[in-house]
Amino acid sequence: MRRRSVHEAVMLDDIRKTRVDRVILICVLLFSLFSLLAVFSATHGSKVAAIHDNFAKQIVWVAIGLALFFALTFVPLHIIFSLAYPLYALLLLMILGIDLVGSISGGAQRWFEVGGVKIQPSEFMKPVLVLTLARFFAPEQVNPNQIKNLLIAFAIVLIPFVLVLEQPDLGTSLVYLAVIIPMLYWRGLQPFTIFVIVSPVIAFLASFNYYSFSAAILLISAVLYLSRRSKRVAWSVFFVNVFVGTLSPLVWERLHGYQQQRILTFLGLVNDPRGVGYQIIQSMVAIGSGGLTGKGLLQGTQTQLRFLPAQHTDFIFSVLAEEWGFIGSLAVLALFLVFLSRGIKIAASSGYRFARLATMGLVITIAFQAVVNLGMTMGIMPVAGVPLPFISYGGSAMLTNMTMAALLSNAATQRYF
Amino acid sequence: MLSQDRSARIIQIVLACAFIALAVQLFRLQIVQHDKYQLQSDKNRTRRLRLEPPRGVIYDRNGIPLVENRPSYTLSALPIEVRGNEKSIAFLAGLLEEEPAAVKRKLDQADNPFVLLKLRHNIDYAMLVKLEENKLEYPGVTYETETRRIYPAGIKSPHLFGYIGEVSRSELERRQDEEILPGDLVGKKGFEAYYDRELRGQVGYDAIEVDAVGREVKDITGAGDRPFIRGRDFYLALDSRLQFLADSLLGDKIGGAVMVDVRDGGVLVLCSKPDFDPELFSGTLSAADWQRLLNDPGKPLYDRVIQSAYPPGSTFKMVAATAALEAHKATPETTFPCTGGVTYGDRTFLCHGGKGHGTLAMVDAIKVSCNSYFYRLSMRLSVDEWAAAAKGYGFGARTGIDLPAEEVGTLPDRAYLDRVFGKKGWSSGMMLNLGIGQGDLLVTPVQMAQYTMMIATKGRYYPLHLVYKIYDPRTQRFYKQRLASKSVEGVSQQTYAILQEGMYRVVNSPGGTGHSTYLPDVVVAGKTGTAQNPHGDPHAWYVGFAPLAEPEVAICVLVENGGAGGVAAGPVAGALLRRYFDLKKAASAANAAPLRP
Repeated sequence: MRRRSVHEAVMLDDIRKTRVDRVILICVLLFSLFSLLAVFSATHGSKVAAIHDNFAKQIVWVAIGLALFFALTFVPLHIIFSLAYPLYALLLLMILGIDLVGSISGGAQRWFEVGGVKIQPSEFMKPVLVLTLARFFAPEQVNPNQIKNLLIAFAIVLIPFVLVLEQPDLGTSLVYLAVIIPMLYWRGLQPFTIFVIVSPVIAFLASFNYYSFSAAILLISAVLYLSRRSKRVAWSVFFVNVFVGTLSPLVWERLHGYQQQRILTFLGLVNDPRGVGYQIIQSMVAIGSGGLTGKGLLQGTQTQLRFLPAQHTDFIFSVLAEEWGFIGSLAVLALFLVFLSRGIKIAASSGYRFARLATMGLVITIAFQAVVNLGMTMGIMPVAGVPLPFISYGGSAMLTNMTMAALLSNAATQRYF
Repeated sequence: MLSQDRSARIIQIVLACAFIALAVQLFRLQIVQHDKYQLQSDKNRTRRLRLEPPRGVIYDRNGIPLVENRPSYTLSALPIEVRGNEKSIAFLAGLLEEEPAAVKRKLDQADNPFVLLKLRHNIDYAMLVKLEENKLEYPGVTYETETRRIYPAGIKSPHLFGYIGEVSRSELERRQDEEILPGDLVGKKGFEAYYDRELRGQVGYDAIEVDAVGREVKDITGAGDRPFIRGRDFYLALDSRLQFLADSLLGDKIGGAVMVDVRDGGVLVLCSKPDFDPELFSGTLSAADWQRLLNDPGKPLYDRVIQSAYPPGSTFKMVAATAALEAHKATPETTFPCTGGVTYGDRTFLCHGGKGHGTLAMVDAIKVSCNSYFYRLSMRLSVDEWAAAAKGYGFGARTGIDLPAEEVGTLPDRAYLDRVFGKKGWSSGMMLNLGIGQGDLLVTPVQMAQYTMMIATKGRYYPLHLVYKIYDPRTQRFYKQRLASKSVEGVSQQTYAILQEGMYRVVNSPGGTGHSTYLPDVVVAGKTGTAQNPHGDPHAWYVGFAPLAEPEVAICVLVENGGAGGVAAGPVAGALLRRYFDLKKAASAANAAPLRP
């Protein structure tokens, strides 16, 4: 059934000469340049070989990544379509295997090693998850407003989410979770259904304070009233929310202290000047002291004297901001905005549903990571351990991001399967 | 398709809003609050080193160093780095052998978390090695080099020099203008405390650039950079050879010796025994050592020469003689008989030596220290007349010697007696005991030395002082303090002549009580005392001066519960006087090392 619709699409679309999307390509090249400069700045002064060598490694990853980008750009989309499910299954098995090894050895595990190269399957899962969802919802008849399809979609996301959360890798698992609602919305899920899904989360978050909970319930009631749904639906949603709100403090009480601590720290509700708080302060100092024009390449004292934590990974943007200043930082923001806007445009203009869905999912994946990471370095987002796409050091991430860029370019240029 | 376009636009708008929010925050951080973060970033990378000046050196009058500095190592931690780092706290707790909670509390209580907090002074080599080895693993845990006091001449005289120790909270508050930080060493007792400000010098500052683990990257010029100024060096009037001798002569005895140069009031010897090793206090005094010092029956922590008061006994008889002569209640020729004691009211006051001294005039009464004579002389005196004479000789007041916590003693004048016994509770019978230096009268050995000096110089004298000159490293010059001479009021030259003649005979005439201080080629004048007291055997006193014709030195020796003054205290004084004149002779013979610098 699904197969046939694919062939219909092929017949409907014009066959055009395959080429690379110029905007995506230029963005990717600039990202690679920024990444190399920032990683060099963050690592060249280190006396720790494991960190110092990261620049050389990053060059290799960028080179491989660019090669991958060009290679994947020319892979016909129907091959990618057909690979989505097998890849999803394969990565799930790998993540499960890592989890099992981790639980046996007792340590946190996120990757396995092949020939001296660390491979992090959870990173590759980011685009594969999007492709899987896109494939599932590609057929016309798979209506996201049907409860069955909704449940399957959530299952597709929640299985890797839980497995990766267990590693524990909160940042990566949140990236999985972030794509589901926007993709469903993009596929045509009714806004009211989104509200029904999201409102208990709001009720849960608001339930720790009497006033915020009252306000949340009031807001939810208002939306329910304005939605003009049947009384039965409205009351059910209302009671579910009240139930969640009342119950969550009770559940909270039953959590272990360290679990509560972890949640509070993530939500930015506890001040921890030595740990996470210290990192944020140092990052904000690095960014703020950069000023308009920055301290100059390799001249950032926060970076070079290593006050800035995790500077080649999670806080790489702070390196750029300190050394390149407001002008350089804006250039990075602008580059992301151009790249993502181009992605949205590709998604909107693609003639085939799989490509439209997949492209938008990838845009959301990259946008979520970029906004959370940038916001974290500037102190307006909680610390979740999300790297900055294309810029942060990391082999698996670089290959993943290049793959996603390649798929965008692919979707932009291939109007056929 | 239309709704898809709308969805795309909404997603695009949400994305744009997120990036605008990021750009606004970026603008706030980098443009609006740039100055604040620039300052913070500079604060991060620069550290102001506190350059501690070496403490001033204390020399004796001949330039022999008595108290010097030696480097020692102090365990320190930077609170801002170590706070909240459980690993580092555990490491520190292990080194200090304290509970981690106690270490944590100290770190939390630090006034300025960006300044190194001293945790243990004078650490041993093993701990130093451990710190050096683990430098990288425990950022913020380090050591500082400090100076520690040593006593190269072997004269520790803790009651004179005192010692240095970690500044206390109350001192910190009192001395806020002096740039003292918690953990700094300051003078705690004695000379070190009295001249602490001058001895400490002025701290300097030097800015350096450091990396995140506190390692110095390079030296930079900071706003508050200034070199330190070392503490001033003090040259004392003290003669280390005499001080050393006094120390060994007193040995295991309990007591003290004071010798002054009567020509300028400079203190040549100031010795209190028993004493203790002041080096115990530089570093961390162990509880066991502290308990040992506290419980020592000899009470070595007590200063016996300026902070303790005793009944003076017969050494005080010159006061009664002065009062009687100046009040015209007696002349030098006035005689009294001694039959072994005097009966006053229903009490008999005994003289020493059994059947009595016979009939004596004043000079010989001083020579044999006849109590009967002085009982009868004192009966003619009012308390006011006697107290005025005592006050004239400096009793009932501090000498003003440049050491802290000087004791005043007790001078029982009318006001005192009225207060203690009630206006009608005492009679002039009190004078019998007071006249021979007993009763409620209490004096310090340095008061006695000053009194002897006044008699030696016939009333013109200089205030007692330890400091001869000061070297100021800032100006690279020596400074001497100019002391104005003072005069004893209301004592005539004839009176001094009588007192000096009596004291001459004490030492030089047959039957004198102070023959133990006789010197063959220098004329010594003195007076012994054997003071009854409620704490056991009498205290032995000796006061004297020499040479008689042109006095140079006055001396006072006290031996607590030593028995007869001529036996226990006299020989110590005699040996010190002999040594003084031997040294003088050797110096003038060599003509190379003058005694007076």
